[in-house]
Amino acid sequence: MSETTVFAAKRIVTMDPDLPEATHVAVRDGHILAVGGADCADPWGGGLLDNSLGNAVLMPGFVEGHAHMMAGAMWRYAYAGYHDRLDPDGKLWRGMMTLDEVIAGLAEYEKGLGPGEPLVGWGFDPIFLEGERMGATHLDQISTERPIAIIFSNFHLLCANSKALAMAGYDAGTNAEGVVKGSDGAPTGELQEMAAMFPVMRRLGIDFRGLSQTPEAIRTYGQVAVRAGVTTATDLYSFLEDEDVATLISVTDAADFPLRIVPALGAAGYPGEIAAKARRLAPQSTEKLRLGAVKLMTDGSIQGWTARVRWPGYVGGQPNGIWNTSPDEIHALCLEMQKQGLQMHIHVNGDEAAEVSLNAIEAALRAYPGPGHRHVLQHCQMMGRDLYERAAELGVCCNIFANHIWYFGDQHVALTLGPDRAARMDAARTALDTGARVALHSDAPVTPLGPLFTAWCAVNRRTMSDRILGVAQCIDVDEALFAITMGAAYTLKMDDEVGSITPGKRADFAVLGEDPRAVAAIALKDVPVLGTVLGGKVHLI
Amino acid sequence: MSLPLTVIGGYLGAGKTTLINRLLGESHAQRLMVMVNDFGAINIDAGLLVSASEDTIALTNGCVCCTMGADLFMAVGDVLDLADRPDHLVIESSGIADPAKIAQVAKAEPDLAYGGIVTVVDALTYDGLSIDPQIGAQVRGQAQVADVLLVSKSEGGAWPDAVGREAVDLSTLEKVAPLVLGLRPDQVPKAGLLHADYASWSDTVDLPFSREEIEAILMVRSPDLLRLKGRVPAKGGGSFELHVVGANWSIKTHPAEGVGQLVGIGLKGLISRDEIADRRAGARHLGAAGQHSAFSPATPQICDGLIARDRMQCPGRFSICGDWRPRFGRAVQ
Repeated sequence: MSETTVFAAKRIVTMDPDLPEATHVAVRDGHILAVGGADCADPWGGGLLDNSLGNAVLMPGFVEGHAHMMAGAMWRYAYAGYHDRLDPDGKLWRGMMTLDEVIAGLAEYEKGLGPGEPLVGWGFDPIFLEGERMGATHLDQISTERPIAIIFSNFHLLCANSKALAMAGYDAGTNAEGVVKGSDGAPTGELQEMAAMFPVMRRLGIDFRGLSQTPEAIRTYGQVAVRAGVTTATDLYSFLEDEDVATLISVTDAADFPLRIVPALGAAGYPGEIAAKARRLAPQSTEKLRLGAVKLMTDGSIQGWTARVRWPGYVGGQPNGIWNTSPDEIHALCLEMQKQGLQMHIHVNGDEAAEVSLNAIEAALRAYPGPGHRHVLQHCQMMGRDLYERAAELGVCCNIFANHIWYFGDQHVALTLGPDRAARMDAARTALDTGARVALHSDAPVTPLGPLFTAWCAVNRRTMSDRILGVAQCIDVDEALFAITMGAAYTLKMDDEVGSITPGKRADFAVLGEDPRAVAAIALKDVPVLGTVLGGKVHLI
Repeated sequence: MSLPLTVIGGYLGAGKTTLINRLLGESHAQRLMVMVNDFGAINIDAGLLVSASEDTIALTNGCVCCTMGADLFMAVGDVLDLADRPDHLVIESSGIADPAKIAQVAKAEPDLAYGGIVTVVDALTYDGLSIDPQIGAQVRGQAQVADVLLVSKSEGGAWPDAVGREAVDLSTLEKVAPLVLGLRPDQVPKAGLLHADYASWSDTVDLPFSREEIEAILMVRSPDLLRLKGRVPAKGGGSFELHVVGANWSIKTHPAEGVGQLVGIGLKGLISRDEIADRRAGARHLGAAGQHSAFSPATPQICDGLIARDRMQCPGRFSICGDWRPRFGRAVQ
């Protein structure tokens, strides 16, 4: 007979209204056998008591409905961002608040590199820094011998030192858009967009594919998840070539791999082919790898002024953003995916993109009625009540980018949308009130993976300057905790397996130092994460 | 030599795939690698097929057509890393994409040469699309960045007036390869006429020039010269590899020494072989780059060239002349 383990905890917050709290959970074959007190396994013949989590609070493992595999592997490079950040090994990297601090931090990092090894940084964001813009001359203070490239947090720009510029053949004679030149006609070091970044990246061996498709990248993603209490996480735009799938299966199958990964196939190309590929992928799913969903890109980002927004547009008068997939294609893709019974995750930052996507889903549902589709609008940053009402009507889930409130809220007030529309960004209150299915997300590595922080954002709506951005949109702690567990599980069609501590579900837990419901709402983000349990196997930090 | 890259742009249904099908089927003696978004509409004569897999089709004429896979730029890197590179790389941009975002890499990357942006617009739908409140700006942008603007589906007499610039009627072209790819010197026929539709010219360049001198010439080239490519000896040794198409060019250093060669092409009816190669008129047309004196920006011929350009009337829909708006050296602030 299979072994039964009974985990004792200081408290178990189940997120299951039938038994909201417990002290013990019995696990057999990786699943939850019973929940309750010390005797909960007795009807099943008892079990072996495990007290190793006796001082911890257990919750259902958190579910991150929108993140990217890169979140782990970026740490192979030097962190150059403004905010404090933890790496997969738990080391705290202090944010660098001035250009001088960035240069000093990178110079320190450089000392640890081998001879000839390029220095590559990531996470740099000049939107937060005042004064001079970073250029090759600043990076040359670190080294003129070693090639250096600092990738900006949005991955659309980088800054190179003179050595890296020379390797790419960039000089005053270079005639290429995106190679920024100073008043002296020489390249400043800043390279904008991939066409200009590519020659440097190629010569420095920076390969974005390697950041999400190697065994190392997948394992690091697992490590990052354990630190955040996450047991199920998406990789929401994956290419899923055959060899990628083979790698994913072999890495995630390992007994000690601590994460269920849900990649969504990036929808680029002909709808029929994408659908056929997604359908081929679906049956290859395993316990820790869930295939079959599709990701659509529609517009860009609000802070990059590339999101498609409805009237009155951007507050600075910038032209409307760009479509990455045209409305016609969005319609064609929605029709095909709905026809073939495939779930879609649709990137929508601007409200026009959300409206077009809802129109497309509505048309697809009229052509191919099918309840249970659970298509998900991702980001939903500018959706107002009208759009959430429609999402609710159509059974479309809304995964809201709550972290933006803290990271970019002040910028949205001042630069992109203005105070009134910024105050109703990421409107979780409205979304819940309309009856839409709601999850909250980080979009890691855009912002750090950490569902408790994400929940804190939705509850408190604080910006970096401590402004409360739209008090009317705050939700309460229970609602936020539901969104990062059951809410997100629902959007992945995994609510039958994960998201609550309920008999029959998988034994996936977040191991916490305190009960998030028992601390002040403003301290929600500070609740310690001690690790996770996945399928009954304990992974402590 | 660096690998020329041509990007084919245009909105969904404009005719990009039809153009690619024509390109792959024509005899141009170039081993093309064509990267497309999907194989759905690629239609190759079975007699031309060597092999076909899920993501690659190989042709008897040495051309390869493949899907671009996960990451376009990394795919370009993979092509550059091939031991046996193709003669020309052609990338089909997606229906909503800005083709310039891809094509710029050919100016930035030393191992690539700028082969231009060829945008296809649909004579029947362009006017409507260009004022669409949702996608109009992006569709117009695709036409605006084109070095060569091609019009499809004009057979019934339709013409996209909203393009607001000169464009080539695809139905009048017997062959598309010279326009999309340019020519090699050995492809320039002695008689001058490549096909009924094209005029071409080729000559050697034996005196060296500086980059600035070449740029000065290019600034005043005839608007009717569609493409020019080749090698020019550089002052101080080595040479420059020159690729000119539409409003754009790339000039890259090349280690080769000795006499260079240039090949020019235009549309017949707008420009004659003699005009391209007109030595007396000096710099009136860049074809005269073969004339040594023309490579001195201070010569009166350059002024002639400027005047000639100002005087030149664009004869309408078959012209590529347009406004050169030299984009060279435009720094992003």
